[in-house]
Amino acid sequence: MSIVDPVTLQVIQARLAGIVQEMQNSLFRTGYSTIIRESQDASCAILNRQGEVVAQHVVLPLHMGAFPACAAGILKNYSAGEVHEGDAFITNHPYLGGSPHAPDMAVLSPIFFQGEWVGFAANLAHKSDIGGPVPGSCWSQAREIYQEGLHVPPIKYVTGYQTSKDIEAVLGANSRTPELVIGDLRGQVGAARLGEKRFQEMMERYGKETILSSFEQLFALTEAKVRAEIASWPDGVGEGERFVDSDGIDLDKPVRLHVRIEKKGKDLLFDFTGCADQTKGPANIRPTIVRAACCYLLTCLVDPALAINYGLAKVIDIKVRDGSVVNPHFPAPVNTYNPTVHALVESLLEASSQITPHKKVGDGCSSRSIIIGGRSNKTGKGYVQYEIFGGGSGGRSGKDGVSGTNVNQSNAKIAPIEIIESEFSTRLRRFELIPDSGGPGAFRGGLGFVREYEVLDNDARFSLRSTKHSVAPKGIDGGDDGQTGRCTLNPGQPDERVIPSRFSDHVLHPGEIFSLDTPGGGGLGDPQERDPQRVLNDVRHGYVTQEKAREAYRVAIDAQGNDFVLNESETRALRAQQL
Amino acid sequence: MVDETPMPKYRVTVDTGGTFSDFVFFNEDSGEIGITKVPSTPKEPFQAILAGVKELLDQGAAAGEISFFCHGTTVGTNALLEEKGAKTGLLVTQGFRGIYEVMEQTRGYGPATYDLFFEKPRLLAPPFYTEEIPERVDFRGNALKPIDVETAREAIRRLKKKDVQSVAVCFLFSFLNPDHELKIKDLFAEEFPQAGLSLSYEVLPQIREFYRMSTTVINAYIQPVMANYLGHLESRMRELGVTTPKLYIMQSNGGVSTFQGSSKKPVATVLSGPAGGVIASMGTCERVGINNIITFDMGGTSCDVALIHQGNPVITTQGKINLRPIALPMLDIHTVSAGGGTIARIDAVGGLQVGPDSAGADPGPVCYDRGGENITITDANMVIGVLDPDHFLGGRMKLNKSKAERLLEDKIAKPLKMDLLEAADGVLDIINVKMEEAIKAVSSQRGYDIRDFTLVAFGGGGPMHAGRMALDLGIPSVLIPLTPGVHSALGLLMSDVKHDYVRSKLVGLDDLELNEINPMFSRLIDQARADLHGEGFQDSEIKMEPYLDLRYAGQGYELTVPCPMPPLTKQDLALMRGRFDTMHEQNSGHKAETEPVELVSLRLISFGLVPQAKLSPGKVTGRTVEQATTGTRKIFFGKRHGLLDTQIYNRDVLELGHKISGPAIVEQLDTTTVIHPEQEATVDNYRNIIIREQK
Repeated sequence: MSIVDPVTLQVIQARLAGIVQEMQNSLFRTGYSTIIRESQDASCAILNRQGEVVAQHVVLPLHMGAFPACAAGILKNYSAGEVHEGDAFITNHPYLGGSPHAPDMAVLSPIFFQGEWVGFAANLAHKSDIGGPVPGSCWSQAREIYQEGLHVPPIKYVTGYQTSKDIEAVLGANSRTPELVIGDLRGQVGAARLGEKRFQEMMERYGKETILSSFEQLFALTEAKVRAEIASWPDGVGEGERFVDSDGIDLDKPVRLHVRIEKKGKDLLFDFTGCADQTKGPANIRPTIVRAACCYLLTCLVDPALAINYGLAKVIDIKVRDGSVVNPHFPAPVNTYNPTVHALVESLLEASSQITPHKKVGDGCSSRSIIIGGRSNKTGKGYVQYEIFGGGSGGRSGKDGVSGTNVNQSNAKIAPIEIIESEFSTRLRRFELIPDSGGPGAFRGGLGFVREYEVLDNDARFSLRSTKHSVAPKGIDGGDDGQTGRCTLNPGQPDERVIPSRFSDHVLHPGEIFSLDTPGGGGLGDPQERDPQRVLNDVRHGYVTQEKAREAYRVAIDAQGNDFVLNESETRALRAQQL
Repeated sequence: MVDETPMPKYRVTVDTGGTFSDFVFFNEDSGEIGITKVPSTPKEPFQAILAGVKELLDQGAAAGEISFFCHGTTVGTNALLEEKGAKTGLLVTQGFRGIYEVMEQTRGYGPATYDLFFEKPRLLAPPFYTEEIPERVDFRGNALKPIDVETAREAIRRLKKKDVQSVAVCFLFSFLNPDHELKIKDLFAEEFPQAGLSLSYEVLPQIREFYRMSTTVINAYIQPVMANYLGHLESRMRELGVTTPKLYIMQSNGGVSTFQGSSKKPVATVLSGPAGGVIASMGTCERVGINNIITFDMGGTSCDVALIHQGNPVITTQGKINLRPIALPMLDIHTVSAGGGTIARIDAVGGLQVGPDSAGADPGPVCYDRGGENITITDANMVIGVLDPDHFLGGRMKLNKSKAERLLEDKIAKPLKMDLLEAADGVLDIINVKMEEAIKAVSSQRGYDIRDFTLVAFGGGGPMHAGRMALDLGIPSVLIPLTPGVHSALGLLMSDVKHDYVRSKLVGLDDLELNEINPMFSRLIDQARADLHGEGFQDSEIKMEPYLDLRYAGQGYELTVPCPMPPLTKQDLALMRGRFDTMHEQNSGHKAETEPVELVSLRLISFGLVPQAKLSPGKVTGRTVEQATTGTRKIFFGKRHGLLDTQIYNRDVLELGHKISGPAIVEQLDTTTVIHPEQEATVDNYRNIIIREQK
């Protein structure tokens, strides 16, 4: 391996970033499903021949862990002699590939340069439906992955630029939205081809040896940067623990996530052996996802602008127990993996805060999606309305949490109401932040929001994949918890019913209502230390009610005409009582 | 066309920048232009403008002779960036406050994804000034719930009591049925006529509520500031004796609007400055027969690039300013943090990093000798010899070369164990690649073949870097306009009045009812014509361009496809279908001729044609190119060429027919052009320098 000079190295890094960006633009632009085009749930990467990430453009950080595992699956199934220019592989298998769950379909196309196989152009995108018992393919009562839709092991989908009609026929026949699945998949292949072409142009220009050597050096630079940061922390141990509401089957049994981080010199060991046993329902996650969560944490702590590649993965040493929720035995179900990862990331943040000098963050809202499917009375065709929602983020050292946002590894856009109502048969009745949902604290948690829908179609099959409806987002350093989420069918009606956070396949009829409150973030620090002026500001803007100001913050706010004023003397008295 | 009134003869344009306000004076009789730079007066921007106009008057022009005034302003932009706009209220559909506060629900992509301390932009219309109005329109435009007039009236009164100055109104599906927003307008006329009012239906009647709302709120937020500024400016100009009714403001879409129009819709002006540069490049190239252009404007902190294909600039409706979306059509100008002040350093693990931070104007680069300790791009250019320490800004500013050399040696070259010149050259390589990626983002990444384009370089840094970047990218020619330092102001001479109109209507192309679409189109046309009549244009000076926004059924983003003049026929729709497939293939590499296509919006662009300034070609005196030489110096042209004795030329002496072989440097007051050893340059009849690779 030759040594690439530092200038050329930076040039190649910038070129790689340009290539993955271009792939990503192509994928969003040509996406058919609302999930890709409005929510932008998709990521792109360039991998080396060993399947290690060289460059990536990430929308959802978990996708980073998925790529190497998908590549490993291909490398296991196909010998070098079976891989040719113009091929493309697909997989959505959580065990045989690296997909988080069946709806996430990966496309990897081998890159050839002058007849030699040099890497992969890859992307991963969420499919609107890949079969199984419920629209959207995420059944909350699944007990094995066979109930989570059609699983495709790493297989060749395109051979010598010829797309397999057979595979498309099988995929199409197993999806409630065949046009969207095939349309998006072809867009993915197009994006991978583009990456392949750009990569070849780059090799042409700088030479194969230079490019391949630069990969090793880029890995080394990223690894050195991360290890240097770790070395600057004191040696020690931190522990974190969080719970997911339930696994969807044992509804009254929260699922424990636990981590013990041991920091020594330049090394970190993430020990997850304290996590719960694998669950009956689909709350399990695979170790690739655990590693991706650790990568997310380190990127946040070391440098959000870090050049993310295999060099980062090399730093991460994890220990997981066979048969646990973070390393389940095949064929344990995994479809609603994201709440588990959120709890895991929160436990990682808690554990790392005991070691690192970094600022702290309270728990956020986690993430959730609603899925409504059926056959449309507008078009007569099968449809899946899939929407992804955040809530409040946790209070942070020196800053309040953010209201109405996705947090941690979730980052999908919200789909416009005017698009949803034009394309699907639901009508929004309310969309607003929920007062007092942010956990009180010196730095308040962000607010969750309410989405209230009226169903307009017959036999609309509704599913919810959420969490933090029973386990509240935790406040830290004396801050209070954020308000939990809640989903109510037909609120205010005789048949009103609160449903669990994981809930599948409830059939709704025209005129029926469902209302989803998303959780607020946890507070940071003692609410009584919050500046009364900031409490006043919160009351003026409707983020906190006068009652809550008095009860949690011990601040007296009086209404005055159209406005509010701080009652300073009463506030002093209220706060004095507590001392 | 020639202006028919004989007396007035000066066109004055001014582009306000952060440091200088750049003026171009165009004499319609002689076709000659004069340029000047006046220090900007950020607290009262009109002062600099008056100073510039006075300079023209001092040269002997009479105020009454000014026939045309056009201005690129940052007043609206700065009010937005510095959050110094009006106290702004917002009226929304009852139950839907969340649209504005949740925004896109994301942190954005890239590093923001990992930023635990991410903040959304502050709400320009905070909840305390937000009122919910009982009303609802559905996706077909039917009023599900009539507007509750009394509740609305009370809401308006509350905002009045709170001393709100400007109000945005954005109801769901108002782009299909504006009745409720228009009712609010009536109520404001009765209850609170002094408030500024921005209806989403009037600002941007387009689907996707948050983007429409964000655009409308920004308009409301900067509207009183802009109206006040333009009112002031106009009255002070009148005091100076300027009588012309032709007072224009540059807009982000590359066209101009009247003072009156911009006072109502200032959100359309927020990228006014960079737009001037793009339009100037189009005008400059049109005169010499070039219509595929990539513009490259490199200043002190950032670099702006844009693409013009067959004479048409690329337009986006997904712009953002400080994370706040503006969905109005604007020139798609891609900005990267790369300028003369961009800092190069070695990071903690020994990697060479260039940017994104900048040393700014103060303290500025090391060689300015004003206390700057960070190595910048300007320093690197100084060290390799491109910049002459004794002749910067025509000798107005002395630069300290030895200090730049010493610090670059200590901070970059030594830690990398590289030679000083190679290290400086490496820094330039990295910044060039970042700018090249921006150029690719607007060109090859969108399916354009970069080999069909001319790179037009301007701003202080553009002509210094363009030659090398063109070689790297395979762009066959580079054009350096005559006045790269006031290029944006020059663009203001070349713009027509341009207004955008849009109405969304989501329907399959096959299900589309012509007798529904055609009346919608004719309403847009009537409105556009009435607006231009109101601005003083005759029918003969009005041009209209209709478009349809189309997509494959179920796709997320639309392509804006030019369509025949309405009323449309069934044949027209078939034609549009074909045009869309072709355009989709160009943009995305594939088409789906059997997939159904949907209409999302109707668009109309109206132009009020401004008689074009007829710039005269450069005079030919018969001077030889040798007469332009001022000496030689040693310049480092990379490892491949090493240090070369390089001829220096004075731009002011160059004229048509002159040919220069690289390596060479051309110096002028506000920039330095570098011609590489692989290149040669010619001077055309408008005295532009054209650089090409030597055969």
